[in-house]
Amino acid sequence: MKRKTGRAQARTTRGKRVENKEKTRRAILRAALELFAGKGFYHTTTKAISRKAGIAEGTLFNYFETKEDLALYFFEQELVEVIEWYERDRRVKRAALAEKLFAIIHHFLERLAPYEEFIGAVYLRALAPASKLSPWSLQTQERNLRYLRFIRGILAEAEAAGEFPPVGDFGAYAFGLFHLAIITYWLRDRSRGKEQTLALLDRCLKLGAHVLRKGWDW
Amino acid sequence: MGLVNKNEKSGAVARGYRLGKLGFRLVGSYVGYQAQNLLLGEGERAQRRARFQQKASRRVRDELAALKGPAMKLGQLLSMQTEMLPEEALRELANLQMRAPGMHASLARAQFKSSLGKYPEEMFREFDPEPFAAASLGQVHRAVTRDGEKAAVKIQYPAIRSAIENDFKLLRSATLPGQLSGHVPAALLDEIQRGILEETDYLREADNLEFFGKGLSGLEYVAIPRAHRELTTDRVLTMSYIEGETLSDLLKRKPSQAFRDLLGARLIEMYETQIQRLKALHADHHPGNYLFQPNGSVGLIDFGCVKRISFDVSELRRCYRRRTWRESEASARRFLALAYGRSVPYARARKILPLLEQWCDILYPQDVTADLVIDFRGDPRLESKLKEIRQQHRKRVLQDKLINPEFAFLMRADLGLHYLLRELGATINISEVWRRVSTAPAVGRHGCAFRAPPKAVT
Ligand SMILES: Nc1ncnc2c1ncn2[C@@H]1O[C@H](COP(=O)(O)OP(=O)(O)OP(=O)(O)O)[C@@H](O)[C@H]1O
Ligand SMILES: [Mg+2]
Repeated sequence: MKRKTGRAQARTTRGKRVENKEKTRRAILRAALELFAGKGFYHTTTKAISRKAGIAEGTLFNYFETKEDLALYFFEQELVEVIEWYERDRRVKRAALAEKLFAIIHHFLERLAPYEEFIGAVYLRALAPASKLSPWSLQTQERNLRYLRFIRGILAEAEAAGEFPPVGDFGAYAFGLFHLAIITYWLRDRSRGKEQTLALLDRCLKLGAHVLRKGWDW
Repeated sequence: MGLVNKNEKSGAVARGYRLGKLGFRLVGSYVGYQAQNLLLGEGERAQRRARFQQKASRRVRDELAALKGPAMKLGQLLSMQTEMLPEEALRELANLQMRAPGMHASLARAQFKSSLGKYPEEMFREFDPEPFAAASLGQVHRAVTRDGEKAAVKIQYPAIRSAIENDFKLLRSATLPGQLSGHVPAALLDEIQRGILEETDYLREADNLEFFGKGLSGLEYVAIPRAHRELTTDRVLTMSYIEGETLSDLLKRKPSQAFRDLLGARLIEMYETQIQRLKALHADHHPGNYLFQPNGSVGLIDFGCVKRISFDVSELRRCYRRRTWRESEASARRFLALAYGRSVPYARARKILPLLEQWCDILYPQDVTADLVIDFRGDPRLESKLKEIRQQHRKRVLQDKLINPEFAFLMRADLGLHYLLRELGATINISEVWRRVSTAPAVGRHGCAFRAPPKAVT
């Protein structure tokens, strides 16, 4: 076996440290989510989270200063997962634009479903302009950009295929706002299996696709 | 009708608006038409009527076509259960494709999971994400169960029930003038609303499948889907797949007259067994609901709309054949109470008798000893005579407020069967079929006693 040079070794150690740190972050998130789903967001203490994650309560604060930071991290992870899922799902990738967009939001909602109470709580906090969770906070901008690029890519494909006239980057922003609106609706949807959300999502996207194709003059 | 192309707006508000207008136009103008009757002479009246009916039918079609959603179902049921709409409008309605909005594969999966808790591919061996047929409230997918059985999975468009409830709120306000004048009895609206809402409950449909599957098991040529309960909810219905082709496809292959006669007799036997023995009737005589096989077996599908019959049909037929109303005033009263209900004054109901005499002269010839044999290839003159009688009957019923939903329903069901048999072009000894049905053992050949119809049967 070849001996590693000092510098390379330092890099590996640093890499390991980063990796370990990431592992712990994930473990904490997993523990927290499990507790949220079981006991609810408000009844879960930081003590319980750290115990479940197998770390000292003090260490927890090194990773996440507040529950808001936990939420930020959660959404980041979810976005990564959804993008990966989309790239893997060949059927959805071949579908028409309205279906693609439907499937993306629906996939998000499916993943959020077990943590509904947590998301609801996070949403309330995000309304405060000073919150880190606010869509306008700098902390969320990186994730927002990633999301916008992802959606923009999908819209661009549809534009290239002639599915509808070019809307530029605006389309991705508009869709992002729509996405937020749907999550809000979904949180308040008390119908069985949240079928009202499905109907609303489908109708809006069909209408949107129609408007994009035909213009507002219809 | 500029509206039709412009308004594809969905949502309760736009839908309600259209529905409201439709109600006003139909009811409003029918009342207006009646008022005109008082002022106009005979010839002019007939002309105007024809013009009105043409316009009305076009309106109904256009309005309903633009509505697309559950309201279309409403139109269909209105036309099926009542004599309220003019003949032309009925024909237009029958031609309409009553369809809920289509669902793409992702939505169909999502709705399946929303109702059953798992995705179809987790519950079936195979599931075709593309539907093979449209349904009025959703769509139907092919699938293969874990046990390897071919299945049809009917999935309902999400939240259709609440959309229908909204439509009805508006329909009620829209038909208020008709309700006040007594031409649209509130009870009729209640009945239709209940009927439609029940159609949105696929669990009831599964009950119906079971009930009719057992009840018709004595007729070995009948195929009725079997519901897979563990894969069924009120919004998803999984049932065995019924093979066969529609009547129009069958006719393209020019089957022999003997085969047509056989199928025709079977259709009548199925119908009579339902109304006489089961006291409940598969009420959707859409030709697509019958699936025929080359060996002569008849598949019957779509038990969403099923009707319990409290009416004594054999008594009604006996009256028809004997013309009992001629015997005495008491008999006439009895007959009219049977057909139009006890609440209608005798003096008013009596006026309909001459028309019914004509109706019976065609359908129930008086010579009681001979068998009644009908050649459904039909005498076109008789056909148009029947149509004319029906039209006059409907007019009388409306004018004299004789609407009895159950009687009207039976007349329409008879007519649905009649159209099917005409298309088939069969010659049938009806009396023989009736005798066979009334003497058949009360227990199915597989030993299952008839139960009372389930609650699902209305
Ligand atoms: N068990 C089955 N086997 C084979 N095909 C079926 C079966 N059930 C439904 N289908 C197909 O799906 C179509 C629609 O189903 P169905 O008639 O039950 O729906 P519906 O909502 O009642 O629609 P409609 O009111 O238009 O009849 C049928 O015409 C038929 O082609
Ligand atoms: Mg039906």
